[in-house]
Order: sequence, then C-alpha cells, then structure tokens
Amino acid sequence: MVSTGRPAMTLLLALLLSGLAGTAPAERLRVVATIPDLADFVREIGGERVEVTSIARGTENLHAVVARPSHLVAMSRADLFVQVGRSLEVSFVPGLLENARNERIRPGAPGFVSVADGWEPLDVPVELSRKAGDIHPQGNPHVNLDPRAGTHMATRVLEGLVRVDPGSEAAYRARFEAYAARLKAAEERWKAQAEGWRGKTLVSYHQEFGYLARARELEILGTIESRPGIPATPNHLTELIALMKQRGCTVIVTAPWSNNRDLKLVAEKTGATVVEVPNQCGGSEASASWIGMMDLIHARLGKALSPP
Amino acid sequence: MNPARSLTAFFLLSAAVAAQGPAFQTPGTPVYPAVPGPQADSGQADRFASVFNPAFSFIVDVVGDYVDVDGSSAESGFDADLRVLEAAAQAWVDPKAWAYFVGVSEDEGFGIEEAAIHYNGLEAIGLEHSSLRAGRFFIDFGKQMQQHVHELRTLERPLVLRAYLGSEVAGDGLQWDHWLPAGDTAAVRWSLGLFSGLLPEETEFPTADLELELAERKDFGELNFTGRVTGFADVGTSGTLQLGASLRAIPEYDALDEVNGLAAEGLESTVYGVDATYGWSDDTGERRVTLGGEALVSSGDTGFALTDPDTTPGTGDETLAVLDDSVFGYYGFADYAWSRFHSAGAQFSAAEIPDAAGSDVSELELYYTRWFSEFHRLRLVLASIADDTSADSLRLAVQYTAFVGAHGHGVNW
Repeated sequence: MVSTGRPAMTLLLALLLSGLAGTAPAERLRVVATIPDLADFVREIGGERVEVTSIARGTENLHAVVARPSHLVAMSRADLFVQVGRSLEVSFVPGLLENARNERIRPGAPGFVSVADGWEPLDVPVELSRKAGDIHPQGNPHVNLDPRAGTHMATRVLEGLVRVDPGSEAAYRARFEAYAARLKAAEERWKAQAEGWRGKTLVSYHQEFGYLARARELEILGTIESRPGIPATPNHLTELIALMKQRGCTVIVTAPWSNNRDLKLVAEKTGATVVEVPNQCGGSEASASWIGMMDLIHARLGKALSPP
Repeated sequence: MNPARSLTAFFLLSAAVAAQGPAFQTPGTPVYPAVPGPQADSGQADRFASVFNPAFSFIVDVVGDYVDVDGSSAESGFDADLRVLEAAAQAWVDPKAWAYFVGVSEDEGFGIEEAAIHYNGLEAIGLEHSSLRAGRFFIDFGKQMQQHVHELRTLERPLVLRAYLGSEVAGDGLQWDHWLPAGDTAAVRWSLGLFSGLLPEETEFPTADLELELAERKDFGELNFTGRVTGFADVGTSGTLQLGASLRAIPEYDALDEVNGLAAEGLESTVYGVDATYGWSDDTGERRVTLGGEALVSSGDTGFALTDPDTTPGTGDETLAVLDDSVFGYYGFADYAWSRFHSAGAQFSAAEIPDAAGSDVSELELYYTRWFSEFHRLRLVLASIADDTSADSLRLAVQYTAFVGAHGHGVNW
C-alpha cells in the first residue's frame, strides 16, 4: 500500500479535485487479499502479472481490523478479491464490499474467491447461540494456520486468477506447479519436524490454532478466553490452571496480539512456556511469506514441545 | 368495449397470475411474491416459508442516573429509564437494493425511527459509486447525526448538536450519495438530501413552548434539504484523517404560540458546520486513539422571545419576537481504547443558545466504557453542564446496552 506523507494536504486536494480523479488503467491484474497470507499466494502464482494489496497487517488482530480509505479504493478497482471466508473477516469485508460497489468481486462473481471453501471445517457449532461466544456458523475460520492447507488455498487462488484472466492461464499454471512443489516439500519438512508431538497438550489464547493442532495431532486443552471472543473470567482461569497442572500441560501458544496479562498469569501459575507465533504472515522478516511463517511456527513450537 | 384493450388487459393479468406463485388469488386481492420453501421439491406447497426472512435485531439501552441541579431539589435525584428498546430488520430486496426499518419504544407506544430502502444500481447510468436512499432516515450531517443514541461514544449527543439540530433528526425524503477515489489512499463522498421536514421532535432548549410547524404541502423551494461533502485519507500505515462539511436548511417554517394565539410565519433556519476526525490504531489493531471535533453555525430565525408584561397568559398583552441571529457552537472529543474491551475519553461541547438572554452553555462528559463481549457493554459517565444564565447541573450515569442479532443501520462514513 502506498502511504502519503502529507495526508491533510492530500485530502484537501482530493476534496477540490475529486471530480477529476479517475481510475488509472492498470496493465497488471489488481488483486485485493484480506490477509498477507493470501497476498503471498497471489504473488507466488501471479508473479509480475498481478498487483496485490493486503487489507490486514501481519500483526493485526483480525477481529479488530479497521477499514481505511486505501482499502475502499483498492476494493473498488480490484479485478480479484481473495478472502479466507467462514466469517473470519466479517468485521470488515461486508462493509468494504458493499461500499466498493465493484460488481467484478461480488460474492458469486468470477473475481470473488474464498480459499476456505472445500476445506474440512473444525468446530462447526451444533447450536448457533451467542452463549457460545463469538462463534462462526461455518466453523473455525483460521484455515490459513493449517500447514496442510497450503496447496488447497493456492489452488483456490489459481482458479480465481484463471477465471478473471484466462489469457494468462498457462503462465499462472506454470508458476502454480513450481509453488506447489515447494509447498509439498515444506509440508514434508514440517511433518518431519513435528514427529514426536503427537498427543502432546497445549493451551492457546484464542481458538485459532485448531487446524494446526489437528494437522500435528496435538491436543488443545483449552483457551485463555472463556469463549471465543470473550475475555477470561477469574473462575475460568482457575479451572484452566487446575486442568493444565492435572494434565501436565507446559505450553501456551499465542499470537502477538493476544500475548497479554491473562496469558502471562496462567503461565506464571503453571510454569508453562509461552510460545508466541504469528497468526498471519507479514508481521516480521522471518514470516514474510506463508512458508516462512509456517517454518517459524514449527521451529518455535518444536523448541517448546521437543526440548533437546 | 375496445377489443384491443381487453386483449391487452387479459394478457397483462395472465402474466401477473403466472408470476404470483402459489398464493391463491381472487380478483382484487393483493399479489405477493412467491417464496420457495426449504425443501426444493415440496417447498413450493408452502406459502409461509421463512428462508428469505430479513435479519432481525433488537437493542436494549438502559440508563440509571443521579442528577444534581444547583438550587433545585425537584429536578435533582435518582432515576432509571429504559431509554431505548429498538427493534430492527434488514434484508436484501434484490441484488441492487436493501431495505431496513428501525422501530423504537416511545413513552406508551412504538414508533418508526427509520424505514428506508437503499438502491445501488445506478452503474447503468455511469454512477457505479452512487446510491439512493428513500424513506425515513437520520440526516447525513457531520459525524454523529446519523448515529442512533445507543451507538454514540458517550451517553448523549454533543450539546451543540442537540441545541442546533435536535437530539435526533429523521426526515422523510430522498438522499443521493456518491463517492469516488482520489488517488490511491483517499476517497471523497458527498450526499444531497431532500426532505418533507427536518424540524426536530424535541429540542434541548425549548423557547417559549412554541410549536414549530411546516406546511403540509410545499413548493419545491420550501422542501428541507441536507448536503454533506467529506473526504478521508490514510495517514501513514496506522492512521486515518477525515474532514467534512455539512449543511441543513429549512427554508420556511412557522412558530405558533397556541396559548396566547401568537404566530410568526415565513421563518427560515440554516445550520452548517465543518468536522475533522483522526483515528489511529497500533500494530495489533487493539489499541486505538480517536480525536475529533465539529464546529457549527446556526443562522436565520434561530430563537424566540415571548414577553408577557402582566405574566398572565392569554390576556392579549403578550408579544412574540423572533431572534434573527447567527450563533456558534462546537464540540471536541478524545477517546482512547487500550483494548477492544476497554476505552475512556472526554467530550466537551459549548454553544451560544439562541434565546433572549443570549445564554452560553457548555457540557463536559467523562466516560469509561467496558465491553463484556462485542454484544453488550457497560458505561459510566460523569457529565457537567454549565449555563451562564441558568442553574448548573451534574449527572452521574450508568448505561447498559445489549445488541442482539444483526445490527445494520444505514450509516454512511
């Protein structure tokens, strides 16, 4: 995203000259991705043919993303929009889609992609009630943290690119094949790293590492949040601490946004190790790509779960 | 009988009957759209399938407070109030239009606060970023007048807005909105609204218990209207700046004093203002700072002065003077959220009041808001009002608000 150094001046000029402003024709396909992970997939497959904007920043809590002017502008000009789906981005995507009024990327249009479509969901609620907290009717939405879902998500992105730009299909497919091979190699690497993790327990702050746990056969004993999206209560923390001690759980995994006081309290009371891992890529140099992010997650978890 | 007309009418009626679906119809009864049931094969036998029902919501807003008015024990004391019970429904009408209504509890009944349809299908005439809204809805003025009272950052709308525009102003009419990109990181929106009337139902500072009225039928130039232009731009990677200017005009209205049989006719009122808002969030999006303010001028026939030398109403010595003046007011606020669940802030508002005494009134609100989840919150408020021609007051309030279901008013940015 381009940022402006003199926003007030830009805005005043914009107010005066808005009638003259237009959409500059772009040679490259304009793609908006909701999170940096998806932007990375688009870059890997689209290469020089695409220009990608990510709405969320790599360090952001996806429940607290603030839509900004550049997002609205990018959405209004996009040829392709890529989201995870399953209500992960519900706090900002519906408003942006409605206000952007871009028919090319409306749900159901060729330029609309939900990468979670077709991936076996976790935690699909039996009963839809806010008693269960901020649950997602379509199941756990954090598919981007499933180390086995890379090829699936990349395939959804490929399909979207081909739909909106069929003339470049051969180029996209060639890049996809190369990327898929790298993904396959990475998945084998992560699987090897996780040998010996099976059955181990951990606690997470938010219910966002379920797919990772399923892939690595880890057991998530509980969450610091009392329910998804609901901050911890003292009673809940007391019960969680007792459970962790009873089961010998020594690892708490958290995203950067949730590494907070409640989490530190539980770590202190249980002696557990806090493992901070990215929940989307782009938050640091090491996690600049999706593969890099998964490398980092496996390395940090491995350090805590398989100490030398 | 004209056979051609009869034949045309027959075909038109046949088409309507064919399109009306399974509902049994007799001549002269309304035709309803057909709605398929949940089962693809047998659903067509059910007239009352609910699969396409709107999204419903309701909101409960409760306020308990203690007010201390200087020198007035009658106005001081504790109170508790179900301030708002709001019920709303919203749904897509077709791919280009969505509709909603907002009903709210009123003293002994239930009123329609908003009911409108948004139409977004103007791209056919080259206006892909335009929308039309028709019905009853809150006016697009500044940053706060579109919001319902339970959605505000503080307990009440800023004093200057209450004084110059009204606590809540919904008009029956039509509004055109349009936005367009200005570069890669800024956008500009404007709106024009035409309404049958924008006089507030309640005014914060009533003048002489007058009834303000608009003509039932009006010339085009007597219609009330609003206009707003606003632009917002990215500031660095974490901030957003928004600037705006707004106008509300009532070209002709009357003021009636029924007690004394007095009237002032052919009055006009115009309020205009500028606003600025800056928002910043940290890398996680959890910590946020919002700063903003708005300055307003109310001009035209802004106030009234009733004089009654013998202090007995209806004796014929009363006179009604119209105060034709411009008054100025403003508000500013600072809000800090240190997580999604905790925020605190202050809001200050001051306004010249269009009354005979030329009062200056100011209000300071300090507040703390605790969200228990995304769907309910508790707020503590300390509000102080200083009035240079009347008694000062202090208010300590607790507000509890719960949001159930889809909450979708037609609020523009």
